[in-house]
Formats: sequence, structure tokens, C-alpha cells
Amino acid sequence: MAEDPLWLLCVEPHFPGRLGATADWLVRRRGYRCRFYCANADPAAFWPPSTGRALEVVQFQVGGVARESAVSWMRSLERSLCYAYGCFEVLDARRPRPVDLVLGRSATLGSTLFAPVALPGAPVVNLFDYWMAPHANDLVDDIGPGAPTEYFHWRRTAGAYDLLELESVAAAWTHTAWQRDLFPPEYRDAFHVLHDGVDAATFAAPRPRVVAGRAVPDDVRVVTFVSRCLDQLRGFDRFMSLANRLLAERRDLLFLVVGDPVVRRALDVRYHGQDYRQVVLGREPPADESRFWFLGAVPPATVAEALAVSDLHVYPGRPYPVARSLLEAMAAGRTVLAWDAEPVREVITHDRSGLLMKAGDPDEAVRLALRVLDDPAAHRPLGAAAAEVVRERYDRDVTLPRLAAWLSRVAGGGA
Amino acid sequence: MSPRVLFVHRAFPAQFGRLAAELTRRYGWRCHFLVEHLSHCPPPSQEMLRELDVRVWPRPAARRPDAQTPWPQIHAQALECARAVFDAVRDRPELRPDLVVGHGGLVPTLLLRDLLDCPLVDYCEYYFAPRGRDLTYRLDLPAVEPALFFPRCINAATLMNLNACDAGYTPTHWQRQSFPERFRGKIEVHPDGIDTELYRPRRPPPSLAAHGVPDGARVVTFVARGLESVRGFDLFMGLAARIRAARPDVYFVAVGGETTHYGWDPIFTGGRTFKEWVLSRHGGDLSAFTFLGMVDPAVLADVLARSALHVYLSVPFVASWSLLNALSAGCVVLAGDTEPVREMIEPGRHGLLAPLFDADELTRLALAVLDDPAAHAPLGEGGRRLVEEKYSVEVAVPALKEFFERAAK
Repeated sequence: MAEDPLWLLCVEPHFPGRLGATADWLVRRRGYRCRFYCANADPAAFWPPSTGRALEVVQFQVGGVARESAVSWMRSLERSLCYAYGCFEVLDARRPRPVDLVLGRSATLGSTLFAPVALPGAPVVNLFDYWMAPHANDLVDDIGPGAPTEYFHWRRTAGAYDLLELESVAAAWTHTAWQRDLFPPEYRDAFHVLHDGVDAATFAAPRPRVVAGRAVPDDVRVVTFVSRCLDQLRGFDRFMSLANRLLAERRDLLFLVVGDPVVRRALDVRYHGQDYRQVVLGREPPADESRFWFLGAVPPATVAEALAVSDLHVYPGRPYPVARSLLEAMAAGRTVLAWDAEPVREVITHDRSGLLMKAGDPDEAVRLALRVLDDPAAHRPLGAAAAEVVRERYDRDVTLPRLAAWLSRVAGGGA
Repeated sequence: MSPRVLFVHRAFPAQFGRLAAELTRRYGWRCHFLVEHLSHCPPPSQEMLRELDVRVWPRPAARRPDAQTPWPQIHAQALECARAVFDAVRDRPELRPDLVVGHGGLVPTLLLRDLLDCPLVDYCEYYFAPRGRDLTYRLDLPAVEPALFFPRCINAATLMNLNACDAGYTPTHWQRQSFPERFRGKIEVHPDGIDTELYRPRRPPPSLAAHGVPDGARVVTFVARGLESVRGFDLFMGLAARIRAARPDVYFVAVGGETTHYGWDPIFTGGRTFKEWVLSRHGGDLSAFTFLGMVDPAVLADVLARSALHVYLSVPFVASWSLLNALSAGCVVLAGDTEPVREMIEPGRHGLLAPLFDADELTRLALAVLDDPAAHAPLGEGGRRLVEEKYSVEVAVPALKEFFERAAK
């Protein structure tokens, strides 16, 4: 019977990916030992603190179709199998022992499917993020009209690898009820729903008005947009449109924009691998460039600096699992203006812990944003309530102890 | 207006051809087929081709033969078929079926959701196990690498379509049990339907002299689509050698092609067919053996009607039609004792069962049958009755019609 602290083996195509922060917390706070198998790693500046100590990163190679920059919709599963097989090969060669539990996340690629071949005794838990509906959510309303038939073929069949993993894992994990309910009804009861949380204390801490080494003037109102990449999925196009309209109303605004300009999510079939920031700015040039600080992809500490000075955090994403940055902005006590969508509603209650506006109503976005910017102090209760929501439900120190307890049960043969 | 059904499968007639012919003849249903090829086992009858609207979609010229497709690419092959069906339906807007019935594991039909507003019924043939059953059961044979991996991903198309379909059916309870429990509520059990008129006991039995089988000889039969390890062709040859050693006048007839349809026999045979590999190790006298290859149903019916003992030594896997054909023909069946067989054969009532790898017991039972056919004749009669009552076309077709009607509502 496995006992805490566990020996954990994480598998995710990219490190730190989504599991990195969780593994780091389990290592630092619970004494877990973790080996993290990945195909690629972000620069070291993005690694969690325990990397290289109790959190060992092991790289595996992928072959075959997984080496191609893009694959046809029919070969998506084959690419996933290449990832799963690449991981297996290194597992088989290194034979890591002990392993009490395998924790995987495929992130539209592949991870743990063949791990049981190399580690037959270790139960596998997988984190499932997203089940793509053929005609709903994410970018389908933007891309769908006029898209080739193959786009919908892909959307209908892209979940094949997830189905294989759902059938093979000891337990399935997802972050929110909305994410769970995207999956076919036959699987919903099988999910353990628990958010992995954010580092609330880090984002709640007061900071000087300095972001990435630059002082933020006292006489500006700061509007923030944060995303892993500046893509359409997270609404960078909507943000720029709103920003320009706000600049037409107020000249004292500063827009802090965090995110990689290149689109990394394959879900965005139109702009994947392209500099979407350039695309949007080409279409909608900033009304005043000096009012925009494009910070690029930055480590969490810089995100915290940006959020700490934000008077209004804008979250204009399409319906998709809520970004960590939204919760981080809430943890920082910021007033959030979000485009209303089911996943967001699970986190924010309109007029209580943030402001929700109907997608497709840019006038309403401008009105609400100006309301906040005209009187930030009057809206601070929204930020305070948001921070309270995070402290209660999404703080890592709240969610990850529960996760650890659940993982221990799974490792011990229960789920 | 009688219902219009679109059947989708890679092969015709396979599981749907006879069914559709009966739905057309008995009830006036309009049945259309989209298939990749016309099958050789069994081949379609001219009557079926005349009565049914069978369209073959163009197979991409660049595609490799199935047996040469690396296992990670097999799913793409299924999706290629799915796209071909989508294109074919899109190009025939007048088709407008009331129901689509497809073998989703081979040709996923879920893409049709974007074209058709009618229920999808999935033929849920089988859900492969990651190990210990079907493809990975033969631990007595050399290990091959794909056995570790392919069974873990082989069900992708099946799962995808199972999620998308409105209802499913499968021929036996064991096959239904092979599926994850969460889906079983969606899957009904409906046998395919055996042609009890074609496969019937005949007295006197037909002569197989034209095939080299001496009239009057006691004949042991073995039938499989492919003479391969999953169907236990090697086990049959081993048993035949033991029978031959004890009763030199017994004659053996094996029916089946040389293709391996399931598993990876050619990997450990060094590229030879499994039949060649087995015979090279058999070492015995083959003068009492006739290998008929693939035969027409009428010839198969003759073979089974001539059989003194029919041997069925498949691993736990979808029970072959040949098993039910043999029972229908009144053969005394000696089968490996596995769950799918036990669902059909109650030992001592419809046939005889012995552990699959217990050569001594199999031999003992085989010799007992061959030495005293009269004493074992009730088993053949029991087998025939079983098929008439549970697995015949007469029983299966009305039940499937009623199921399709419910699904189409």
C-alpha cells in the first residue's frame, strides 16, 4: 500500500505545463518525490522552484508523425500515440522505481496510455482539460462559418485519444464542473472535479508600482490582459478593440499586455504558429502605442507585478476552460471584466465578484470598463469578493491538500 | 412509407447483407449500402446485389493493404473510411435515410451527424481487451511487440462511434460484456441470423469426393475465415495429429484462407502465413488432410453436413459464424471451453467442451465421438435446435426489425 509522501511520476508533453505547479507544491509542501517526463520544456525561468531537486525532469523523444509541425485530422490519434510511445520508451529504458502513482495530462497530444506497459503496478490518474464539441465553444463560432468540412471532421473525432485514456486510467481528474460536463455523459460520473488552484498569496501580496523593471506612473489607470499567448481563444482581438475604444474616451490609460505573441494552441487552426499579435495590430493599430506595454511571455512573478497595479483586468475569452490568469487576477483583488460564458460563470458572479458582459456587445464592454476606470475605488468590493472566492475555492493551499488526499486514495487502490 | 436504411460497412455482405435482403423481402424496407469492397468470405449472392442498392466507395489508390498498415495508423484508416462515407452521402442528397446502421469500429459513422438528421445505430461487434483475451491470449506463441501496445488503442474508433450513436447492438451477451460497463445500457443483443436452410443436417451426407475426401471416411472439420492463431488453427493441427495417430482412417478438412485477420502471426512466422508456419512444424503425414481455402457458402454447407466432428478451438473472441453454421448443420461440435463458446454451447447438450490447451482431453473427447457417432448424435440435434430457437434468420430478423423501428423513432 502506497503511503504519503508518494513517489509521483508525471507525464505531460510540455514542462512545466499544467502539472508542473501541482507537482512542485506536492514536492515542497508534502514531501513527494516526483519525476516529470516531458517531450519539451519551457525556459528555466518558467520552471517551478523544486525543479532539479525533488522534482526531476526527464525528457523523452517523439518520433513519426509527432515530429511534423501539423498533421491532418485523420492522424491526430497517431500523433498522440507517438507521444505515448516516446514516453514509454524512456520509462522502459530507465525503469524508474518506486512509482506509487502516474499522473498524466495529454493536452491534445499524448501521455500515459502506454505507461502501464512499463509500470504495470502503478495506477494512472489523468487530468482531462477539454472535450471539443463539434459545433460549440472555443473558436467554433469564429472559425466555423466558411471552414472546410475537415474542420468539423476533426472536431468530431479529436477526442479519440482521450476516450482511450478515459478507459485505461484508474481515475480521471478535471478542474471544473463545466469541463466535466463537456465530456460524453457516460464518463461524467467518473471524474474527480477539483481545481489545481493558484498561488493566491503570491498574487495577493502588495507590490510597488513596478512591472518588469519599469515604473508605472501614478497618474494612469491600468488595464491588464494576461494570457499564455495573445490568441483569439483568450480574446486578444476583443481586448485590442476595447482598448482602442477606451483610449478614445480616456487618455490616462496604460494597457499591460502579457503573453507570447505566437499562437501555441493547435485549437486555433487559423493562426497556430503565427504571430497573432501582429495580425490583430495590423488590423487594429493601437490608437496610442505609448499606452501599451507588451510584456511578452513572462514568469509568474512578472504577471503578479502587472496584476498588482491593475485597475481593471479584462478577460474577453471565448468559451474555454478558465485561464489561471483570471483566478490570479481575482486573487490579486482586481476588478475583473469578463465576457460572459458558462465556464466563467462558474467562477465569477456578476456584480458580486466581477463584471460579466454579454459577448457580442462591445458597447456594453466599453460602458462597464469606463464605469470601473472612472471610479476604481467604488468597484474595489468586487475585487475583494473575487479574492475571497479564490481564497476559499481556488487557492492552492486549499485545493492541493484535497488533491493530495485523493491521489493517496487512488494510489492505495481507492478512487 | 417503408423505412429507408443506410447500411455502412467496409465489406458486403458481411453482417448486414443477409439482414438487409430479408428486411427488403419480408417487409419491403428500402436498404442502401455504402461499402469499401465486396467480400470474398462470404461473397455476395447475385440475388443480394440485384435486390439491394450497394455502392462501393473508391478506395484511395495510395493506401496500403490492411495487413501492411502499421498499427498506429490503423485509426487513420478508419477515419479515411468515415470520410469516404461522408463524401458519398453528401453526393447523394436524395438518399435521406430514416436510419443509419453501421459497423462503427471499422467505419465510424459519426461524421454523418453533420449531414443527416436521423438516428445512428452502431453494430458493436467487439471491444478488445488490453491483455488476457482475444489478441493477447496466446501466451504459448512467441511474443510480438504490437501486442503490448495495439490492444490499448485498437478501440479508438469503436469508442468514438459508441459515444456518437443513438443505440447499438451486438450478436451475443459475451460480446456485449466485452464493452465497458458504462456503455452496456446502450447495447442490445441481437444475433446476426444463421441460414438454417442452407446449413442443415443432410441424410445421406453429401459427397466431398470432388475435394479429395474419400466417401465413407470419418471426417473431422475445421473452419475459420483465416487459418490463424486466434482461431486456433495450430491447435487443430495438433489435435488432428493425435487423432490420426489413434485412428489412421480419419480424414480432416480445413476451410479458410491463409490471411491473418487478427493479431500478428506474420511477425513470428518470419513473413510466412500461419498455415505454412504450422505445417512446417507439423512434420506429419498430410495425406489425410484437405485444405479447401475459402469456399462459397454452398460448399461450406456440404463440408459441414459431411462432418463427423467439427472442431472449434478459437481463443476467447467473437464466436465465428462457422461455429453456429456447424451447429445449424447438426455437427457434433468439440470446442475449446471459453466464455463466448459457453454462451452458446451447454456441454453435453449442444456439443462438447474441453479446456483449449488440454490436448489430452480434447483428444479423448474427439475419439469418443468418432468411435461412437450414434451415441453423440443427440448433441448434433441439440445444436441444431439451439440455432433454430435462438440464432436463426427466422428468429433474428423480426427482432432486429423491431429494434430498428424503435431506434428510428
